[in-house]
This record gives sequence, structure tokens and C-alpha cells, in this order.
Amino acid sequence: MRIRPLEDIDISPIVDIDEKIGGRYRPEVWERQIGYYLRRDPEGSVVAELGGRVVGFMLGEVRSGEFGLEEPTGWIEVLGVDPAHRGKAIGRIMAEALLAHFRELGAHRVRTLVDEGASELSAFFVSLGFEPASLRPFVKTL
Amino acid sequence: MSTRTTSLPKTYHDAVVKWREAFLPDYDFLLDNWEKHFPNDPRFELCAYRQLGMCTEIECGEWQGKPKYNQASQMVPEQAHHLLGAIRAQASTEFGSIQQHRLTLARAQDEEEQFWILRMMAEELRHGYQMLHLLAEDDWSSVSKDSSSDMIEEILSMTTGSHVLGAFNIDFDSFVDNVVFCALIDRVGKYQLTMQRQSAYQPMAESMPQMLREEAFHLAAGVVPLRRWATSAARDEGFFTMDMLQRAINKWMPRGLEMFGDERGGGTNVRFGLKPMKNGEAQRLYREEVEKVVRDLNLRYLRARVPELSLAEAPLALDRILAGEAAPGAGGVRAEDLLRLPHAEFLRRRGVPAFRMVGAGGEAYADLHEYLRHLAGALPEAYRAGCDYKDYVDALAKVQGGELTTEEAASQMPALRRVGGACPCSKSVRWVVDAPSQAAGA
Repeated sequence: MRIRPLEDIDISPIVDIDEKIGGRYRPEVWERQIGYYLRRDPEGSVVAELGGRVVGFMLGEVRSGEFGLEEPTGWIEVLGVDPAHRGKAIGRIMAEALLAHFRELGAHRVRTLVDEGASELSAFFVSLGFEPASLRPFVKTL
Repeated sequence: MSTRTTSLPKTYHDAVVKWREAFLPDYDFLLDNWEKHFPNDPRFELCAYRQLGMCTEIECGEWQGKPKYNQASQMVPEQAHHLLGAIRAQASTEFGSIQQHRLTLARAQDEEEQFWILRMMAEELRHGYQMLHLLAEDDWSSVSKDSSSDMIEEILSMTTGSHVLGAFNIDFDSFVDNVVFCALIDRVGKYQLTMQRQSAYQPMAESMPQMLREEAFHLAAGVVPLRRWATSAARDEGFFTMDMLQRAINKWMPRGLEMFGDERGGGTNVRFGLKPMKNGEAQRLYREEVEKVVRDLNLRYLRARVPELSLAEAPLALDRILAGEAAPGAGGVRAEDLLRLPHAEFLRRRGVPAFRMVGAGGEAYADLHEYLRHLAGALPEAYRAGCDYKDYVDALAKVQGGELTTEEAASQMPALRRVGGACPCSKSVRWVVDAPSQAAGA
């Protein structure tokens, strides 16, 4: 398995993985998202390749100054693994690469948000050493 | 990961700023609107970045495992000569692309796409600055009679037509060129920078990581609009057609292939530890990557045209259409509605296939006029009206008529390899002489 930084040629495989997971074809969403992450820091996002095919992606970046968090903080914001390749520790390997990059950029903490109903995703982050934090999301419908 | 930031000596820095005022007049407009288009992104800074903590041993070639060089004088003269050529060529491409992009930047139909290109131009300026920094920081007298200031002036004097590589001597005809250039020609840049990241010359290797980070966005500034345009073409919306995109791809792809140098060459750079791949190998990987881009654009077109096609069905339908087979459920899309990567020998004027009359589909032509009719159907009309195309056709006619060998014709192509000293009558920016005590040269 090869882990490498995100590139423009990953748009289509990421669109495909998203469709396999969620059942919706959303190229416009990923073109915008990947344009953003490439602009910010292409090494802050990674893809996993198996046999030359992209089978997983993890998008993130280091930011500071948000939500009162002045320290540089790594954020893992989106991830996906091709359902046909689950169970191969692809998510873990991508996370390790991303965490190493965040550390190089001076981040001492990495954060993410997981829906309460997404137990599988929660378990994944817990297995990586993530713990529930005191910072809670609040939402108001407009 | 830490990075060292440096500036050029004031004289050179001011010369680049003067150059920017001439060739990137929208720079202030970019900065004034930075927050609107790139919120929370660090603001652009004109400086040189050197990544610290990189590999200090030569990574390929004859001296693999030995310490990398920090000064050109530590290198074998021929090795330093090759390196200097690469730095000057790289610098020329960075400044050259800005001169091309500025011609048609204002014609963008979409503000976001325009600002992406504008940001890319500013970052190319920084890349050129980075290369000038390599020229300014070292003593090149062992391999060049030109001083650093001569070389910097020469580079800042170049205009479209006098740059080192052919792709940077061709005028843009429309904003389609801005975008296709990013998707195809900047991709060559990615390959070159990736190879130079392993350069045996440590300052070159350390210059690459930040340039590569920025280059990743430059490719997206090409590919994302192309995907959107393919979608709008499929829906009969907007003003871009697949034929327009195809012709622009045909215009730029041959120049992209030639940027790698002759397919048979590059061994010396590998032997000297300056690059890990020979020209032919890097060119092949590049072409394979562009093939992926073209396929993705076709799939984007097909699924926009026939939304009922599923993720599994679309690639199969695409393969059938491209093979000329019936593709039930593919909405009547024909092969000619889709994009095709031109044959590797199409429209070449450098390298092994130079001046062969090979069509975009790989078909060979024996008759010059028949070939020109084919080119008329394959290239943008505005490009065919320009001098670059005329010079190519003139040279091709002489090769076909036996008046020139392909090698002679290749060497005659306009100024593709002009790397001589600064022209005394150039309209260069020269040094900014508002601080006479620091001015270097006339």
C-alpha cells in the first residue's frame, strides 16, 4: 500500500469512493473540496493506493485561532475507504501519515467531529487514541 | 518540518518587483481581494523558501550515497554546467508562464477561475524568484562566463518568443489556454520539480518542497475548471465545447512532451545525481497521467450527459464508445463527442518523432497538404493564425522537400533553446536604480 499526498488526479477516485459509500454522485462537492485542500496544504491530506488505484482518502489540515484554540491544531475533516477494501487497516495507515505531518507542522493536538450515530467511525478514532473532548458542537436551525 | 525564508539582495528583489509591475499588473488586485477568494490562507509573500532537514546524501547516479553539494564549485564542471542549465530553464519557465497567462486572464468568464489563475501567476513569480535566489546565492564562475547579475538580467529580459523551452514561447489565444496550460504544462513542472527534489545540489533539492506544494494547486486550477466545462458542455450550457477543449489539448500536449527533452536523453542528469529519471521514462509517466485526466473528463461529460448511468456502468459505456462500439443507454454519445489524448508523435518538432507527419489519432500522412488539412481540423483556429504555427509549417515543408534534415529543422524552431547572454538592446527591466549605491550593472 502506498500513502501519498492528495493530488488533482484524485478527484475522480474520491468521487467514486464517496458514491460507493453514500450512494450519491457528487462531483461538484469534491471538486470544490479538493481544490480547497490542495490550495491549503496538499500534504495535509493523503490518499491510499493499492495496485495503483486509490482506495482511501483522508482530508485535513492544521489551523489555529478557531473556537478559542490558539495553538496549531490538526483537523481530520473527511475520510473514506472503498468498501471493497475495508478491514485492511487503510484508515489507520492514512491517519498515522496525517498525524505525523501535523506533528511536523507543530500541532500537538488533532481534533475531529463524529456524529453520535456513527459508532464505527467513533470506534475507529478511539482505536487511534482519540478521546471525547469537552469542546461540544452547538447547532441552531435557521 | 522547518522552512527557512530568505529574500534576494535588494537590487535583484527590486528588479523582480519591477518585472512584476510590468507583467503582473493585477498583483495588487489579487492581494486586495485575497480574503474574499482565499479566506484564512496565508497571504502571498515574495520570498524564497528552503526546506530544512532533507536528505543530505546524493540519492541517485554515480555518486549515490556521497554528501550532496552545497556549492556549485564542489561539483564536477560538467555536472555544475548541467545544473546551471536546469536552473536557468526553470527560472525562464516560471517568468515565461506569467507573460503568457496575462494575455488572456481578463477574458475569464468566471471570477473564481480567474482568481485561481491570478494566484497561480503570483506563485509562479515566487518560483522564478526561488530560482534567481539559487543563481544569486552561489558562485557560478567555474561554469559560466556570465555573472549572477548577468544571468538574472537575462532571465528577466526574456519575453514570449525568447524563453528557453518551446511551450513558453507560444501566445495564449483564450482563457481556455490558461486552464489547459495549467492542467498539461504545469503537470510537466510537477514532474520536473519532483525529480529535482532529489537533486545532488542541496539548495536545489531544498527549494522544491514549497514549490511542489504550490504546484499541486496550479494543477487543480486547470483540472477543476476543465471538469466543470466538460459538465456544462454535456448539458449544452455555457460557452465551452468539447471540441474547443480538444483543440487546446492538441495544441499543448506536444509541447508538454517536448519539455522533458529528447526521449533518448537524460542519462547524464541521472548519472550526475541531478534527477532520478531519464527523459523517456518521465515523459511516459507524464503521458499516462494525462491519459487519466482525459478519461476522468470524459466520464464527467458522460455522466452529466446521461445521469442515469451508474458508477459501474459509466466506465464500461465509455470504453465501448471510444472503441466505436454500440453503447446502449449512453444517450447517443459518440466517440467524436469525447476527448482524446493526441498521439505521442502528433505535431512534434523535437525529440525522436520530430517533423513526422502523424495525426492526432496516430495515423501517418504522406502528403504535406493532406496533413495540413488534418491539422486545420485538430488545432485552434487562432493558434493556426500565429507565427508559431507558421514557423512549424515552413520548417515541416522544408523537411518534406528535402531542404532541411529534421535536426536542422528542430534547431531552427524559433528560439527554443536561446540561452545566450543578455541582449544589449533588450527591453529588460534592468536594475532599479533608486538606490545607486546598491545598483549592480547598468
